[in-house]
Amino acid sequence: MDIKIGIPRALLYYNHYPAWKAFFNELGGQVILSQKTNKKIIDEGVMNTVDEACLPVKVFFGHILDLKKKNVDYIFVPRVVSLERNRFLCPKFLGLPDFVKASMEDIPPIIDMDIDLYRGYGRKMRNEIKRVGRIFTDDTRKIKRAEQAAKDALKTYTEFLKDGYIPKYAMRMAEGKRPIKKSTGGSLKIGLLGHDYNIMDEYISMNIIKKINDFGGTVVTSDMLSKSAIDYGASCYPKDMFWTYGREMLGAGRYMLDNDLVDGVVLVSAFGCGPDSIIKDMVEKEYKRKDTMPFLTLTIDEETGETGLITRLEAFMDLIQWREVV
Amino acid sequence: MKLTYPHMGNLDIILKAFFEGMGKEVVVPPPITEKTLSIGVRNCPEFACLPLKITLGNFIEALDKGADTIIMLGGFGPCRFGYYGQVQREIVRDMGYNPKIVIVEPPHGDLKGFIKNVVSLFPGMTLKDVIKAGKVAWQKMVYLDKMEKALLVLRAHESRKGIVTQKYNEYRNYIDRTSDVREIKRLSLEGIREMKSLTKLVDTTLRIAVVGEIYLLVEPFASQDIFRELNEQGVEVKKTEYITDVVFSCIMPWRLSKIKRAANPYLNQVIGGHAIYTIGNTRICADDGYDGVIQIFPFTCTPEVVSKAILNKMSKDLDIPVMSLSFDENTGQAGYRTRIEAFVDLLMRRRGMDLVNV
Repeated sequence: MDIKIGIPRALLYYNHYPAWKAFFNELGGQVILSQKTNKKIIDEGVMNTVDEACLPVKVFFGHILDLKKKNVDYIFVPRVVSLERNRFLCPKFLGLPDFVKASMEDIPPIIDMDIDLYRGYGRKMRNEIKRVGRIFTDDTRKIKRAEQAAKDALKTYTEFLKDGYIPKYAMRMAEGKRPIKKSTGGSLKIGLLGHDYNIMDEYISMNIIKKINDFGGTVVTSDMLSKSAIDYGASCYPKDMFWTYGREMLGAGRYMLDNDLVDGVVLVSAFGCGPDSIIKDMVEKEYKRKDTMPFLTLTIDEETGETGLITRLEAFMDLIQWREVV
Repeated sequence: MKLTYPHMGNLDIILKAFFEGMGKEVVVPPPITEKTLSIGVRNCPEFACLPLKITLGNFIEALDKGADTIIMLGGFGPCRFGYYGQVQREIVRDMGYNPKIVIVEPPHGDLKGFIKNVVSLFPGMTLKDVIKAGKVAWQKMVYLDKMEKALLVLRAHESRKGIVTQKYNEYRNYIDRTSDVREIKRLSLEGIREMKSLTKLVDTTLRIAVVGEIYLLVEPFASQDIFRELNEQGVEVKKTEYITDVVFSCIMPWRLSKIKRAANPYLNQVIGGHAIYTIGNTRICADDGYDGVIQIFPFTCTPEVVSKAILNKMSKDLDIPVMSLSFDENTGQAGYRTRIEAFVDLLMRRRGMDLVNV
C-alpha cells in the first residue's frame, strides 16, 4: 500500500507544493492535501498554538489537525532555513517542526526535511534528501530521480507564476491540465504585495484577488515580476535584506513605485508578523516620500471583518479611477 | 565628533570606557524613562519590538543633548534586529535630524575584519590604543556583570528594602568613574562584600531562572525590572545571559555548542534571536534544580514565540513551572505584579514553603 503523506495547504504550500508533490509521488508516496482554509481550521489552529503566534502559523496548525483526521501516515513539515545564498526565511520557518512537535501531541509522525541553501545547494542538501528518501525506498537511483522531478516541477511552476498566473492556476497548469484564462478584471493594474500564504489563501485574505478583479483591477504580485526587477528594487536600499520573501516584497514595492508599472499598490500583512513590521514600514516610507502612487496597507488577523476590507478596497479603487479621469 | 549609543543594562558604562579611551567625546543618552519610550512609540513601526522603540528614544534624546554620531549594532538575520540600524537611520532622517550613523556589523566569524572595521572608525589611533581602551572596557564588562549577578542573589535577602540596590548603584558609579584595570576588579569585589553585609541569613529560598530575549534580559527598564520585583519577593534570581555571554559567544562560537547540546531534543537549529539560548538554558536550569523559569520577550518577537511553544512542552517533560511574559509599550505594571506574585506563590506551594507575601 502507498504511504500517505499529508501536506498542509498553508505557508510555503503556495510557493513549493508542486515540487513536494513531484518528489513524494516519484518516491511512490501518495500526497494528501488538507482542505481549503475555513473557519473551523482557523479556530482549531488558534486553540492549539500560543496566542502570540502570527495568523499564518495558526492557520498552518489548523491544517495539520485537519490532516490528522484524514488518517495520513506522515505529515510533511519542512524546516526551510534558507532558499538562497546568504539569505534566510522568517525565524518561524526555521523552527517550524519543533514548534509543531512542541504544541501538538498525538499527531501522525512528522517528516521534517532541512532545506538550507544558505551556503548553496551542496552535499548537505543532497544528504538530507537521501535521508528523507530512505523512509520510502532504499533505491538511491529512485531518490535521485525524485530529487530531479521536484526540481523540474518547481521550474515549470515558477515559469507559470512569472507568466502572470496566480498559484491556484499555475499549479493546475503545471500538472498539464488545459490552459486557464488568467484572472483579469479590468484595465487598472493593482500591485498586490504580501506573503503568498496571506494573499493567496482565499479565506484569510477574504478573496482579495477576486475582489480587486470585481472592482475592475488586474493584480500584479511579486511572483509575477522578473528576478532582475526584484534585484533592482532591493538594491535601492543600502543593506541587503536578509529574508528571501521580505526582500521580494521590498524589491517589488520599490520597482512598482519607480517604474509606474501599476496604478496603485495594496500591501497585505498579517497581525504580529515580525519581518512585515519592518518591510511594511520601509515600503510605506518610500511611497510617502515620493507621493506619486496610491498606496493602501491592510492588516489581517483572525478577527478581521470582511465588510471593513471591502469598504477600504472600494474606496481605494474609486480613488485610483478618479485619478485616471483627472 | 560626539558619539552616542543605545542604553542596554551596563552597556553605557562599558562603551563609554571604550570610546573615551579612544579619545572620543561621548554623550550618554539620558536614563530611559516613559518619555524615551513614548518618542519611540510615536515614530517607530507599530509592530516593531520594544527594543527598537526604546533605542530610538535613546538616540533622539542623545541628539537633543548634542550628540552627532550614533553607533548601532547590525546583524545578518534571521532576527529582524539586524535591520534595525537601517530602519532607525530612515526614521531619524524623517524626524529632521541629520547625524552620522555608524552601524557595526558583528564579527560573523571574522574577528580580524571586525577589529579592522572598528579601528577604521578612529583614525589616528594605533592598535596599542585600541587594545588599551578595549582592556578597560572588557574589565568593566566582566566585573559589572559579576556584581550584578551577586546583586540578583543578595537583594533577595536584604535586611531593609532598597539598601542593597542603593549600594549596588553606588559601586556601579565608582566603577564608571575609574579607568584603572586593577581598581575595577577591587571595587567590584568590595561592592559584592558590602552588599553581602546588608543581608540577613535565610535557610531556604526560591531560585528562579529568567530566560528570554537578550535586550529584555539585559535592560531592566524594558521588563519593568522584573528582577527587582522577584528579589523583593524574596526570590533569588539567575539571569541566564549577560553582555559578557553575548560577547563571548560572538568571538568564541564553540561556547554555543554546550547550549546547543542542551537544547537539541527540543530545538536543533539556531532560529535567530536568542531562542536557542532560551531553550538550552531552560534545560540547564531545570537540571540545576531551579524552582521555576520565567521567559521574558518583547511582543511580536518571532523566535521567542516559537520558544514559548517549546517551553510549554519542556515544562511538562522536565517538571518545572515556566511562565512566559511578553512586554510592549502598553504593559501595565499591576497586571504583571499579580502574575509574578501568583507564580511565586505556586512555586512556594510546590516546595511546601510557607507563603510569605499574602
